[in-house]
Amino acid sequence: MTSLPPAGFLGLTATLLGIGLFGILTRRNFILLLISVEIAMNAAILNFVYFAAFGGTPGALSGQSIAVVLVGLAATEVAVGLAIVLALNRSRGSINVAEAADLRL
Amino acid sequence: MSPEDAAFLGLAGVAVATALLALLVRELVHTILWVSIFFVDLAGLYFLVEATFLGVLQLGVYAGAVTILLFFGVMVTRKRIFSREAATGIGPYPLALSLVAIALMTTVATALPGGDAPVRAYDPKLLSADLFGPHGAWLILLGLAMMSALAGSIYLVREGREE
Repeated sequence: MTSLPPAGFLGLTATLLGIGLFGILTRRNFILLLISVEIAMNAAILNFVYFAAFGGTPGALSGQSIAVVLVGLAATEVAVGLAIVLALNRSRGSINVAEAADLRL
Repeated sequence: MSPEDAAFLGLAGVAVATALLALLVRELVHTILWVSIFFVDLAGLYFLVEATFLGVLQLGVYAGAVTILLFFGVMVTRKRIFSREAATGIGPYPLALSLVAIALMTTVATALPGGDAPVRAYDPKLLSADLFGPHGAWLILLGLAMMSALAGSIYLVREGREE
């Protein structure tokens, strides 16, 4: 049976979430913003899987089931995000989020 | 140190390094290449905790579909795909906020008992029984969300909307 350090896993997901947060706060390109959100979301999904792997009651799989749903949701979010990128690029000729401050595509 | 611990440390190091590189390189195409390595590395972490189904899902959805979508986004919005980003400042406040968040969460994580804990392996058959049994409503909700996302995307990009 495999044994691994749970504290190390949580430290890793915390660091990844911090990196994603940093990207969301500093990047101005819409695609980079999407990638930052993906990094943060992946950290959250990893957390669900780790808590399912280390804790919980035997036979309870909720963590992994939620992770499966979240992976699908994250992919959906990227698809909508890229549709917004295309619409922004067509109406403004740029995908800089600082120029798209008035909620009009 | 057991081989599993060494594998975890290696994969975790690669994950943090590729995530940082993806956000710090100037070339947008290089960003997408780094982030695809990040996704493959996360699939390795899933395999390490014996979540095989999720590992395969991660490879298919993230390393495959999301990466290709991001490439399409770059190809459609730029005349030359290898054009550099204007430098974005790193800014003291976002950096400080992220570091404080990391420090807080890591402190909470270290409150867990140290040392190794056994990993429970899951049978993919049990996972599918769980997904389509007690969590069936989640899957239907996911399907509805995906369908509305599809309709919304088509509405956003359809020709002649703003005229």
